Amino acid sequence: MTETAPVKTRKKMGKKASDRLWFWLFLMPALIPFLLMVITPFGMGIYYSFTNWTGGLNPTEWVGIENYRGLLTDYRFVYSFLTTGIYAALNVLFINAVAFGLALLVTRKLKLTNLYRASFFIPNLIGGLIIGYLWRFIYTLVLTRGLNLFDSSPLIGDNALIALIVVVTWQYAGYIMMIYIAALQNVPEDLIEASRIDGANAWQRLRNITLPLIAQAFTVSLFLTLVTAFKQFDTVYSLTQGGPPQLSPPWLMNLVGMTNARTVESTELVANVIYNRAFSFNQFAEGQAMAVTFFVILAIFSIGQVYFNKKREVEL
Amino acid sequence: MKKLFALGMMLTTALVLVACGGGEDAPLIIYQNKVEIDDVLKEYAAAWGEANGYEVEVRTCGGDTCGYANQIISEFNAAQQPDIFVFEGLGQYLTYQNKIMALDGEDWVDETAVEFVYEGSVYGFPINLEGWGLAYNADLLEEADVDPSTLTSLAGYEAAFATLDDQADALGLDGVVSMAAGSGLTWVTGLHNFNGYLSSGLEYSDRSVTVDLLNGISDTARLEALADWAELLFDYADPEVLLEGSYDDQVNAFKLGRTAFIHQGNWIDPNLIADGGLDFEVGYAPHASGLGDVDSIFVGAPSYYGINPDGGNTEAAKQFLNDMVFDDAGHEYMVNEANFVPAFNTVSLVPSSPLSAVVYEYAQAGNISAWWQNDMPPGFGMEQLGPIYTLFANGTYTKAEFVEALSQEIATLAE
Repeated sequence: MTETAPVKTRKKMGKKASDRLWFWLFLMPALIPFLLMVITPFGMGIYYSFTNWTGGLNPTEWVGIENYRGLLTDYRFVYSFLTTGIYAALNVLFINAVAFGLALLVTRKLKLTNLYRASFFIPNLIGGLIIGYLWRFIYTLVLTRGLNLFDSSPLIGDNALIALIVVVTWQYAGYIMMIYIAALQNVPEDLIEASRIDGANAWQRLRNITLPLIAQAFTVSLFLTLVTAFKQFDTVYSLTQGGPPQLSPPWLMNLVGMTNARTVESTELVANVIYNRAFSFNQFAEGQAMAVTFFVILAIFSIGQVYFNKKREVEL
Repeated sequence: MKKLFALGMMLTTALVLVACGGGEDAPLIIYQNKVEIDDVLKEYAAAWGEANGYEVEVRTCGGDTCGYANQIISEFNAAQQPDIFVFEGLGQYLTYQNKIMALDGEDWVDETAVEFVYEGSVYGFPINLEGWGLAYNADLLEEADVDPSTLTSLAGYEAAFATLDDQADALGLDGVVSMAAGSGLTWVTGLHNFNGYLSSGLEYSDRSVTVDLLNGISDTARLEALADWAELLFDYADPEVLLEGSYDDQVNAFKLGRTAFIHQGNWIDPNLIADGGLDFEVGYAPHASGLGDVDSIFVGAPSYYGINPDGGNTEAAKQFLNDMVFDDAGHEYMVNEANFVPAFNTVSLVPSSPLSAVVYEYAQAGNISAWWQNDMPPGFGMEQLGPIYTLFANGTYTKAEFVEALSQEIATLAE
């Protein structure tokens, strides 16, 4: 805020000090909850991952990197990382392809454009848990038993991960579509028109004009889809419960130094493993160590992705 | 104007801080996990509180929407901790050990056989009795000319299942047994079915197989008997329920007469009585998972009330539990309101719901085998053993591999 007219003279030191006071006063209501509810638990979480913490029920002792060392040979955790990696890669690809396609479609001058936009967006308004239950019904009762498209529900077969990705794409593509729509509408008409006069065809216009100009939207969308894919929890929880189980592949057992095959869950993602470790097995400290490891890896991935995408953006 | 602003900001700040603190008045808090008895327990607790001059607050967290086991941890970290709360067997006892006080010498201890004891001291008040065997539809069995009294050995079951399967079309059956082994229902297999390995054919207090298991030692003969039993159940299972069904699908298949048996306990009674109830008689036959003939179903206290020494109302909590056992109002609440099979000798009321009545009969006759499944470490049954059952049910494992995988998993407990 700027004061245009000179106000009554104030005591000299008062002005700056009171500005500062106001600054902190206004910041307090946001800062205190942030410190209490984000920073503090985050710090405590890192601390607990170095202890044998059991949820505050038993005395807590420092165990150093014990919990982290165990992770390297934890076949379920290692496998869930791989699953999450595949899931995230496919998910980012599917969601962005579908969302961008839909965005191109609804920015044409079609009839009922607004209706299309709204209906593509609506799945995003339904909670992930509900979506999971809904699609369990669709896969098992409608597609499998009703229409006989599958012999048995895709949720218990080898392609359960793909089934999950389809559901999440259905849920999230509408949201990402909105980001692309906003970007597409900002591409100046005159540039398109100029290129048309120069004889560029539709593909050339998309490739050389539209895409570079909406690179910012790609940065945002890829970031959002990548991060949400890594953090996926609720839809898995209600759709497949992490299942179906399968035999652990030999290379995995080699990797963690075990000889016999064990059971691993085909759609169990890192967030689900962390939750289970803490709340089903009551191994809170190990779960916390997994969460910290996961945070570090996710941070590296997303920062790398944003850095890479930023380089491709152009300014008008 | 500015002062008003400043005041507003300070108020907001203060509010945020206050919201994180706690109140002062401490009612007796009961924290429990049975959604179905929430109403009647609240009613009973309020009446008891009025009569004894306490304020009682019942909080319920359970079912599909509230994870009791993780919510209770945050309750212990809250300003007002629960006074009475629920724990299930040894695994959870060890987790909450510091929050459960010894209850030796309480009057109710002499009136029950199934209180929770650890290293010689009493810690848990048995909330009720529950039990499971293989529940059957007596009308369908009669129609197919199968005598339930022959269901005491694997051979008896094989014959009965084959007879029913032959007449499946005439009887309108989708499968003989409503059995579930898919993801999300691993408690049916990894806990309830597997308990046969731990207790079938043993004395009620015989914990030897469980102790061995906790030390990583498995009994191959018993595992093979269990595998034979599981194989038989899977072979004759309703295919739509076995791997892709939900709990509701499983119960409904039995309730609607599409299967003759169901692998579930008397907790399905509320589902069976709902919507017009059952039009057939039911009974329980023992699980044929033991080495010889079997005559017992698995009956035990599924959960216990523990008293939290840090709750601040321990005396009131003790009185609350005693009164439930010794007052008629308590009996009325347990048997007729909450539909429990009572765990106390002082109660003479007989449960009225179909499977509970059968469990009560078995308990009265003393034909019961123990529950040791909750003595396994947290997560072991559902997360480690359950998936092995799933792979056996979907044909990935042969019977020999199934036994091998179970014993391999048990061996990890030695570490």
